[in-house]
Amino acid sequence: MPPSIHPVDLINALRSKHLTPAIVFLTSRRACDDAMQAFERSQVAIPPARQDAIAAVLTELVAQYPSIAEHPLQSVVQRVGVAAHHAGHLPSWKIAIEELMRQGCLDAVFATTTLAAGVDFPARTVVITQSSVRKSRDFTDLAISEVQQLAGRAGRRGKDLVGFAVLTPSPYIDLSVITKGLTGQPEAIDSQFVISYPMILNLLKAHPLDQIQAILAKSFAQFQLNSRAEILENKLDTLHVQMEPYGPRVCTDWIAQWQVFDHARKQKAHRIQVKRHESPELTARLQFLTPGRVVGVPKARGIVLRQYRSKGQKQPMVTLLRPGGAVTECPAGTVTQVFDKTFEVTEAPVYPWCTPGCLDELTHQANDLPVRMPALPILVQEEPEESQIVQTLNDEFPCPTCPSRPACQKDHAGALKLRQEVHRNQKMIQALHTGLWHRFQSRTEILQQLGYLTPTCQLTEIGEWARLIRIDHSLLITELIRAEAFSGIEPQVLAGIMSSIAHDDDRPGAFPRISPGLASLLGQVRHLAESLEPHEDPPLLRADIAAVSERWIGDPNLTWIGLCRLTTMAEGDIYRLLARTLEFLSQIHTLRGTHPGLADCASRAIKALRRGVLEELP
Amino acid sequence: MTTEELEKLLDEQPVSRLHRLARGRIHRHFRLGKRRLVEALLRCTPENRPGLESDLHALMQEPLPAPPVVAKERRPAGPLPTRPGSQRNAHPGHAEPTEPATDLASFLEGIGVPAPHPFVPDAWQEEAVAHLASGDVIVSVPTGSGKTYVALEATRRAIAADRTVIYTSPLKALSNTKFTEFSRLFGPDKVGILTGDRKDNAQAPLLIMTTEILRNLLYDAASGEIDVRLDTLGLVIMDESQYIADPERGVVWEETIIFCPAQAKLLLLSASIGNPQDVADWLTSIRPSPCHLIRHNRRTVPLRAGYLHPNGKLSPLFRSVSIPHGQGGALHPEAKRLFAQYEEETIRPRSH
Ligand SMILES: Nc1ncnc2c1ncn2[C@@H]1O[C@H](COP(=O)(O)OP(=O)(O)O)[C@@H](O)[C@H]1O
Repeated sequence: MPPSIHPVDLINALRSKHLTPAIVFLTSRRACDDAMQAFERSQVAIPPARQDAIAAVLTELVAQYPSIAEHPLQSVVQRVGVAAHHAGHLPSWKIAIEELMRQGCLDAVFATTTLAAGVDFPARTVVITQSSVRKSRDFTDLAISEVQQLAGRAGRRGKDLVGFAVLTPSPYIDLSVITKGLTGQPEAIDSQFVISYPMILNLLKAHPLDQIQAILAKSFAQFQLNSRAEILENKLDTLHVQMEPYGPRVCTDWIAQWQVFDHARKQKAHRIQVKRHESPELTARLQFLTPGRVVGVPKARGIVLRQYRSKGQKQPMVTLLRPGGAVTECPAGTVTQVFDKTFEVTEAPVYPWCTPGCLDELTHQANDLPVRMPALPILVQEEPEESQIVQTLNDEFPCPTCPSRPACQKDHAGALKLRQEVHRNQKMIQALHTGLWHRFQSRTEILQQLGYLTPTCQLTEIGEWARLIRIDHSLLITELIRAEAFSGIEPQVLAGIMSSIAHDDDRPGAFPRISPGLASLLGQVRHLAESLEPHEDPPLLRADIAAVSERWIGDPNLTWIGLCRLTTMAEGDIYRLLARTLEFLSQIHTLRGTHPGLADCASRAIKALRRGVLEELP
Repeated sequence: MTTEELEKLLDEQPVSRLHRLARGRIHRHFRLGKRRLVEALLRCTPENRPGLESDLHALMQEPLPAPPVVAKERRPAGPLPTRPGSQRNAHPGHAEPTEPATDLASFLEGIGVPAPHPFVPDAWQEEAVAHLASGDVIVSVPTGSGKTYVALEATRRAIAADRTVIYTSPLKALSNTKFTEFSRLFGPDKVGILTGDRKDNAQAPLLIMTTEILRNLLYDAASGEIDVRLDTLGLVIMDESQYIADPERGVVWEETIIFCPAQAKLLLLSASIGNPQDVADWLTSIRPSPCHLIRHNRRTVPLRAGYLHPNGKLSPLFRSVSIPHGQGGALHPEAKRLFAQYEEETIRPRSH
């Protein structure tokens, strides 16, 4: 890896300039842990008085959070006066680090950028080492607001006269992203309103259907849509003013009339021109030479990327992709055969006229073309005589002899453009005003089909209890309950299933074994999740994750350390998994009125889950 | 273009442009240094060469940083803004202000701890609290300004008037911190916390919970199953309310605000966002009383930006001591030189 500053040197450099305490934002948990290890290996030690101060703060916290006492990093933190703070740690440990930082006991904390929002403690200095963060699977540049979120931790009111944001380069840094972030205005925020199934059920429980549209109209989403619509409405007003000179003429709808006439006229002109320049065979073939079509040219074959007519060449041209990846231009006339085979092409406006991914794909296809392919028979149309066309025009349209013709001819292009724009704007305004409501309606239909709502949008008996499940994957959970998948279930199996539904991280790891009962139930859950896929994204449903909860809840003698040893997950991740499982279980517990057995099982699972570190926090 | 020509051209590009080129072409390209990036680009492309070349040419049309040049007599162009709109920054050499750049000593001057003085609320803090008497308030100010004071003072007044207060945060961890902090300030009997499975001191006048829990309470209340006394609710404080823009959870903030009882005032605390006025206008449009917006971008503790080279050398990042807001930011010549040097070093493969 290209050079970036060694963590011990970094903190020394900051210390020597009186820039501590500092929060150092690093790319990953791993980087934070590596930094701590570097300190562990080093000879660094803070003065005994400061070490004692740290010990005192930690001792005080142990009373409330016993898990701190056993934390393996305790002694290092005490000796070196720096700590790591990231999602891999237990909440209690993070609280300890935050408290140490608040009391000014530490010189630095290594934290991950992704968690900036959860870092609720300031410092004199923040160190930024990257300009992008991992979001789902890709790296994205930090937004201005995110850079300011990081930099905002620098400079403690009442404790610092100035604060510092220091950046130090690493391969992950793009200087311009950071400078823009520091100097720019934060981005405007946008509504992320979605219409979920529990939302529909709860709305319809409390309000009659005819009030719903008005409630949705109160969302920030609709507010923002309205302001977009307003801009379009203003534009529409301007367009109407511009349209004024183009009122009714000899025909009321002269724009449409002229458009049809003009079209017919152009077609005629084209046909005449075609007749002059191109053979009927070529004309007939042209319409098949669209992107993706496989064609034959003398001694070779290729895939059409585009058809064009450039100024220099009078004749129509095609761009072909040949086997081997060469991209060539040739006159359409040289095409000898049109095959009955086309490929998907994602077109692009510039060379190579399709997207890079598409070009890759097509190159493979071009290399693997079957030896024999059926050729398309091309029907050559007999061209009608020129005079005949003129005759038809005169018969069908009043325009050629109309007194308004010169005016129509002159104004038509402008008027038509305006009118099209008016229509486009009207359509968009309409969509902005009714989009949310339509989304609500289409999701409501699904709930009707599944039996949660009556045809008149009242909650059915099922809908009545299903509305209490207000978490992700609610549909899967309520459908499982309806299918009696949980009847007679053991608490640890229920917890295992809830974990596998709740957990949305696909990081691999090593995990304890799953019991056969849980495994077979999970198979059933998977099956149901697949069948619900058109209505709700299926969860990951990882068996290994289910096993972690199953073990913790099923074996009351298992210690936290024991559980951590069973998997490669970080303890912070195990904690979060169990905490989310707890949330899901407590939702199940709200069904005690209608499903007392299941609610009781959930309650027993919760009791078993809430022990050790999971009892330390409310 | 031959492979040699392409390689030469790629070598001349700044790393940031190579990363853009690598997007969607090379898995985990962010892990690679310049040399390995060039190699990876050359390796993955024999079939897709035309696409790569045309993308490269397109990117080169943008007024991006000129390649870092080490020649002494030429000023290395800083890898500055990448947007076509900011052309004037593409050649900072021509547009630089004439004042001399700050030196390290002035940059580091004034570090220290302010003398203690009695707490006097800022004008904006008083303004926020005062406006809550007549309507909702949104506070959008930089982190560390003192939003908590507004929450505390408003809570104090609501409790004195015998009203219930609900305080929501987006994360359980933040709820816990606030629970500890508020219990210390108001006394443990005055503060309760609600989670999915636990209610600690649910009859207390100040209740802390995540936004999801409050949303659920409001749904229950709407269907007549009141869990907590919402009729006495006088104030709902939503901390970190910029979460309304969170792709997964933002909708919960909207639901909560839409269903917040009319008699309760809303106090939205938010980090700096670009369009707080929009949010205020929205609240005004749906709530019984107008929403007052408090916003400013002044940091209470001034912020300075520095550049630390891997060799431990520190330099101001910008020419000025303070951060040049809204000006694109002319880099300090020293920082620029050091960073160009850094990029240059990462071109050479590491000797193992
Ligand atoms: N008017 C004030 N005068 C002095 N210090 C203040 C004032 N208001 C707040 N503070 C202090 O500023 C620090 C940051 O406040 P905080 O409310 O945590 O910021 P925010 O929530 O805006 O990020 C706290 O230590 C607080 O005591």
